[in-house]
Amino acid sequence: MPLLERSAWYDIARDTNWTPRYVEVDELFPPDQSDPYGIPVAEWETFDEPYKVSYREYVSVQREKDAGAYSVKAALARSSYYEDADPAYLSMLKLHYGAIALSEYAACQSDARMTRFSKAPGMRNMATFGMLDELRHGQIQLYFPHQLVSLDRQFDWAHQAHHSKNWAAIAGRHALDDVMMTRDSVTTSIMLNFAFETGLTNIQMIGLSADAANMGDFTFSNLITSIQSDEARHAQIGTPVLEIMVRNGRKAEAQQAVDIAFWRIHRIFAILTGIPMDYWIPLEKRDRSFKEYMTEFVGEQFERQLLDLGLERPWYWDIFLEDVGTHHHCQAAATWAWRNTLWWNPTGNVGPRERAWLEEKYPGWNDTFGMYWDVMIENIRAGHPEKSEAIGMPAMCNMCQIPISNKGGTVWEARAHQLDHEGRLYSFCSTVCKWIFELEPDRYKTFNTIADRMYNGEISPNTPENILQYMGSGVISHGGRDAHDLSWVKAYDEPGATPRLIAGN
Amino acid sequence: MSSLAVIGRLERDAHTRIIDVDTEFTMDQVVEACLAPAVGYQARHPNPGAMLRVRPTTDTDDADPFPRSMTVAEARLRHFQQIDIYVSDD
Repeated sequence: MPLLERSAWYDIARDTNWTPRYVEVDELFPPDQSDPYGIPVAEWETFDEPYKVSYREYVSVQREKDAGAYSVKAALARSSYYEDADPAYLSMLKLHYGAIALSEYAACQSDARMTRFSKAPGMRNMATFGMLDELRHGQIQLYFPHQLVSLDRQFDWAHQAHHSKNWAAIAGRHALDDVMMTRDSVTTSIMLNFAFETGLTNIQMIGLSADAANMGDFTFSNLITSIQSDEARHAQIGTPVLEIMVRNGRKAEAQQAVDIAFWRIHRIFAILTGIPMDYWIPLEKRDRSFKEYMTEFVGEQFERQLLDLGLERPWYWDIFLEDVGTHHHCQAAATWAWRNTLWWNPTGNVGPRERAWLEEKYPGWNDTFGMYWDVMIENIRAGHPEKSEAIGMPAMCNMCQIPISNKGGTVWEARAHQLDHEGRLYSFCSTVCKWIFELEPDRYKTFNTIADRMYNGEISPNTPENILQYMGSGVISHGGRDAHDLSWVKAYDEPGATPRLIAGN
Repeated sequence: MSSLAVIGRLERDAHTRIIDVDTEFTMDQVVEACLAPAVGYQARHPNPGAMLRVRPTTDTDDADPFPRSMTVAEARLRHFQQIDIYVSDD
């Protein structure tokens, strides 16, 4: 049967707006779910998706993508790749699956909100496909690690992390709930589709895909490339939304939504991506540094997209660029020192050669972050590996839920930015997290960090054992340990290879 | 005597840390409590042999230190209040 060209029917087929007669428009599209900005429906009807696809085409393409990803997995399942893989590389997979798999299901609900409540027919159409995309991403990223649970129980966190009270899972959920789950359909689109997916998923999916391919893990490389091809399509929902917002005098609100979401997701993704890239991937397999990826994919591409839309760089752009060279180094050291709280096994992997690379990529690394590692390495070399594990608790940010850290050493920039709100002291890692809180205190003020829970009776008594159990460590799986059993420290036994000498200091 | 959690900011340390102190602790005892989980684990003493003092954290890092014999209760430190533990020139 001859088929019409898509262009001949597409606009009519997806123009599903009508004039309601039995209910008020605000009952059909409640403003707090649909559009709190009051933009006329006629404006929303100008929404023109840049990437058009019919359902028939969508199903066909998605089937091919799934077939490709599953066939690569099946082919490599016959090898013993994962049994023989570098344990630090496996940690990257555990971290990724635990953080991402069920977050994709959450994103499915975000797209469902746009599908139901958006006043723009084109947006509803694209969000329907986005919803199906996220469902696929959730399923495939649960299915792939499931086969690895028998190899290592930590892979079970792909299913469990999102439901746990592990501090890292809390940090992820807090950001994603804020950006994806608790906003109206317009703001969700700006935050999720534009700031998150356009701004930052490239770094996770493309950057890590390159590293995975270099490690010979074509299953994972192929999987996340397949996912990113969906992201690249439905991320474009955000662009026409922003154009309509700016055109209708809502630039300030749009800008604020971008600024909140971009920072919140950056703080999570820097850990998820930056630490594996700059610490866990063996030196000879590293594609580029995290900072180099961020400079290209975010500092240049995303910035250009913002300006093209008539928006500005976030007000904190200089702070962000500084953070790209700071935050993940702090957390690489912190997560390694507090490794028994994790669902993955981080490696320290800061031998003399790696330090030279870090110093080259991040000038000054040895005099700041390196000083932290110096003490731990000295303890291990002196026969006290137990002293390389942190005791006590770091202060936690009341916004991003991540330890409050910064450069140590002579520059000493570690500091909590505090706020007295309604008689309670809140602590923040940065002026940006504090700014987000101050925009809408009622939204955030009752949430408790893992540190708050140690003192409000939720973790009682707050002994180290109880805290770990509360977080699921030793319950869902054993907690983290050094992925290489500290073998990387042996590199310092080479003649002349003391940390400071190798650092060139 | 009761316990209180403060946020310790030890000079040169990369982390801010939660420190349990007793309200009857003097500031010298607060210094010891802040050093205990940090120095020798991931941090060094910022200037071995030098006197460390406690002051409230401010944006400009120039608040006067609490007297060494002042107690936590007398200083009216609050739950999760941030304090600096720093090398004093005095």
